[in-house]
Amino acid sequence: MAGVTPLFDAIWNDYLMWSVFVGAISFGWLYHHSYFYRAKEGEVPNIDGLEVGVFPKEYDNLKLEVTWTLLPFILIVWLTYISWAPLDAVWSQTGPDGYHGSECQEGESSNNYFDSDGYVRSECYWEIDIVGQQWFWEFDCNGLSEDLCSTDYATVEGELKPLLTLKEGETYLAVMNSIDVTHAVKNPDFGIMEDVVPGQETYLWMPAVEETSFLMLCAEYCGDNHAYMTAQITVE
Amino acid sequence: MGGSAVSRRLALISLMAIAMIVVPAVTSLPSGISGVKDTGCNCHGTEADPSVTASISGLPSSYNASETYNVTVSFTGGPAIDGNANLGGFNLWVSEGTLATLDSSTQLWGPNEASHTTEGNDQRSWTLEWTAPVSGKDVDFILHTNSVNGNEGDGGSSGDMWAKAQVEVTGFGGELPEADPFKVLATLIVVSSVLLSIVVLYVFYRNNPEGFEWERFAPWITEWLTSTDHKKIGTLYFVQGLFFLGVGGIMALMIRVQLATPGAEFISQGYYNQFFTLHGTTMIFLAAMPLIAGFANWIVPLQIGAPDLAFPRLNALSFWLQPVAALLIFTGVFSGGGADTGWTGYAPYVVTENTHAGVSMWAAGQIMLVASSTLTGINFLTTMAVMRAPGMGWFQMPLFTWSILVANLMLFLSIPAFGVGLIQVFLDRTIGTAFYDVAAGGDPLLWSHLFWYFGHPEVYVVIVPAFGVISEVIATSARRSIFGYKSMVYAMAGIGLVSFIVYGHHMFTSGMSPTLRFVTMLTTMLVAVPTGIKIFNWLKTMHGGSLVYRTHTLWTLGFLVTFTLGGISGMFFPSMALDVHLHETYFVVAHFHYVLVGGTVFGFFAAIYYWYPKMTGRMLDERLGVLHFLTAFISYNALFWPMHRLGVVGMIRRTHTYYITTDDFQALPEWAADWNMLISVSAFLFFASNLLLVVNMIKSLIRGEKAPADPWGGWSFEWMTSSPPPTPSFDPHNLPELKDANEHVANEPSRLGQMFRRLMVDDDASEGGSH
Repeated sequence: MAGVTPLFDAIWNDYLMWSVFVGAISFGWLYHHSYFYRAKEGEVPNIDGLEVGVFPKEYDNLKLEVTWTLLPFILIVWLTYISWAPLDAVWSQTGPDGYHGSECQEGESSNNYFDSDGYVRSECYWEIDIVGQQWFWEFDCNGLSEDLCSTDYATVEGELKPLLTLKEGETYLAVMNSIDVTHAVKNPDFGIMEDVVPGQETYLWMPAVEETSFLMLCAEYCGDNHAYMTAQITVE
Repeated sequence: MGGSAVSRRLALISLMAIAMIVVPAVTSLPSGISGVKDTGCNCHGTEADPSVTASISGLPSSYNASETYNVTVSFTGGPAIDGNANLGGFNLWVSEGTLATLDSSTQLWGPNEASHTTEGNDQRSWTLEWTAPVSGKDVDFILHTNSVNGNEGDGGSSGDMWAKAQVEVTGFGGELPEADPFKVLATLIVVSSVLLSIVVLYVFYRNNPEGFEWERFAPWITEWLTSTDHKKIGTLYFVQGLFFLGVGGIMALMIRVQLATPGAEFISQGYYNQFFTLHGTTMIFLAAMPLIAGFANWIVPLQIGAPDLAFPRLNALSFWLQPVAALLIFTGVFSGGGADTGWTGYAPYVVTENTHAGVSMWAAGQIMLVASSTLTGINFLTTMAVMRAPGMGWFQMPLFTWSILVANLMLFLSIPAFGVGLIQVFLDRTIGTAFYDVAAGGDPLLWSHLFWYFGHPEVYVVIVPAFGVISEVIATSARRSIFGYKSMVYAMAGIGLVSFIVYGHHMFTSGMSPTLRFVTMLTTMLVAVPTGIKIFNWLKTMHGGSLVYRTHTLWTLGFLVTFTLGGISGMFFPSMALDVHLHETYFVVAHFHYVLVGGTVFGFFAAIYYWYPKMTGRMLDERLGVLHFLTAFISYNALFWPMHRLGVVGMIRRTHTYYITTDDFQALPEWAADWNMLISVSAFLFFASNLLLVVNMIKSLIRGEKAPADPWGGWSFEWMTSSPPPTPSFDPHNLPELKDANEHVANEPSRLGQMFRRLMVDDDASEGGSH
């Protein structure tokens, strides 16, 4: 399916499992009580003796309340914990401590691959530039050789759009900027997006692990032609 | 002289003879004719010649949309000289649809103009293909043909003739795609306003037929326009809120028609962008907030046993700022282009010249709403602080009142940031300051910070009052006290507190500092804790109770389902590896519609069914109510649930169209188009089902059963007054006094209070010490 990276898939499944768990408890509880504790037809009993103008008698249980304060808290601590490591991968720093090493020298190759956790690891990376403006993208290969990175045009639904061709197995760091207003690079197949802000450089990892060809979209509303501000990225 | 002329002619004729031998057929303009639609082929004479007849065949008298027709253009007659049959070329222009060539004898100048090619030069008939348009408009075909004698070779023209033929093919009449959506919208709004006023007047007439004379009518309408009574102002807010809920809904429907199929052109991008902007602004500021303010106005003074709000005139000002602000926000629409920035109005786009002119008015209108909300905040906080009935401590206020207190506190503390941002935008746009001009050193992220510092508390301002409603309804319906009253209050206060430190999750991909992103990831996760407490407390309230099923009970249970789902989907966003994937997709759209429609709107539907009898003195029809709930609940889920899946596969928000995977590139899977169609159909059903509520309310006003003072058996003060309540709501000289079923608990200081008391050195002791 488009846009489901192994990394996304792994956390998604964890989150989905916990959602089903929480949902099952809440809805099981809700459906049971709304059926089991319904009033008999035509009867309106008054269990706690509600009376107009009288603050009702207290109905609470400190232990229960503390329980469902602490249990969700423990759950979110766990969810935060499992979200932590992917964070380092998504926004990996450069250099030996990061997931993608330092910038490649000529003749080197990223040799990237998915490790057992679904994170992309590379030996080194190539730097390319992406510039956004109303309403088209501009790619710059920064003088990389033709087989590593090339730019051209492709026809997307009858309009000419920029085409960026990357090489399978290489990892790229996009250095991004905007000429006019805020745009956002959305690469569904890499499962990632980042805003492109005027007057500021932003960065985005583009690990071309598998052969693919997909539409890159603008995901931050930028004016009239926003919906048609597309480009094609091909990994081959 | 004469001799040289003869010899020149001879030379010319011999040249022509050679030319005729070498290129026997090249005699009309060989490379094709263009641009003659209006002028005619005047290179072959100023007037068309009657001896040439041009004709177009193969066309139907009226066409079917998108069908393809073979069109043959031909001519007869014209000049003839020996050795050359009259041959020529043509130019065909059509007003609609597209032309295509069938062979190499014809060529296109564009989709709607064709001519012969060098190869097809000097024929008498050509065949082309024409694809009919979908617009249904009448189509004009204009054909020009040249009949040439070939006397002057390549390009020569003396003695040549031309003809023109014009054929009209009638369409099927529709010009729907060309319709101006704003005219549609404006018509709908005007029609709804007229119907609304007719209904209001009819209801007034039915209830008081004699009052319809002008002498009585004038004071009646003046009373509404100048009233400072919290109940009347509440009703005004309520009517405004429902009206704009309809307007915002109509805009959403337009958006959904556009998105029903990929690549549709129902509304142009310019309109689409305005519609989603105004949909957001209208629904949050002109529908949800007034609905909440309406109920707060009506119910809070009644619940705390106050005759009116603390500042009734300020309250009237708060309300009357609203319609004026609404007018300003929509003014852009009538001045050539409404705001097209999204309700978030991200900088620097919001201050650039590419935006529509209406953005300035949109900002100005919202500045007025900021003023209105601030005044409302002052008013309600003061009222709750000083006007509670005797015997009612802070911790004996009904939970709906508590929710309004928390909401107003949040609003009061956050909205100034929004006001500042809006004023900066307004100044940038009007007098040329440079707060957001990047070239002059402005910072686009400043707007995001100011906006979301307000924006996130704002969405809680909209949802927390719904929590209050649900707490009231579920306890009354289950015939129980609410479970854990104090933890409910603390949970609401907790949500209010946390709301100020989580807003960074809207900016996870904005280029904001990663440290700040990480901090807000942790705080956002925290929101789940107080919200969880509330949901579990509601569920526990039902335990051991005896749930009486009425329409408001159904809406409350519906709220618990949809809000829990919305809460769960919200937990996916703080996890940033998921967020960078889901940000700005339909997953977000699904999430916030689950909490804002499934939460706020469902909560306030419950409030309508719960308090309407109190407000009007008439019961609502339970059967219509149940029908409303069932149709709305089902169509609502069919409308928003599929959006989750579309978001996961990468459909993004705020775009005029979406792309389906082709052979060349990956985009959305093919089924995404079907799901979008399902969503659009469900949107219409959801909209229609809510008309049942309107019908129910009108029906109840005209011939509803009279309501008793306490139809559902609630305990708070509003059920003590008659239905509808008198004005002033309580006699200021004889205020009700709240009793407490747990006297001992109420008078005991809390544990925190006991701790403080131990820390204090009491007055007697200190005096003793100094002596």
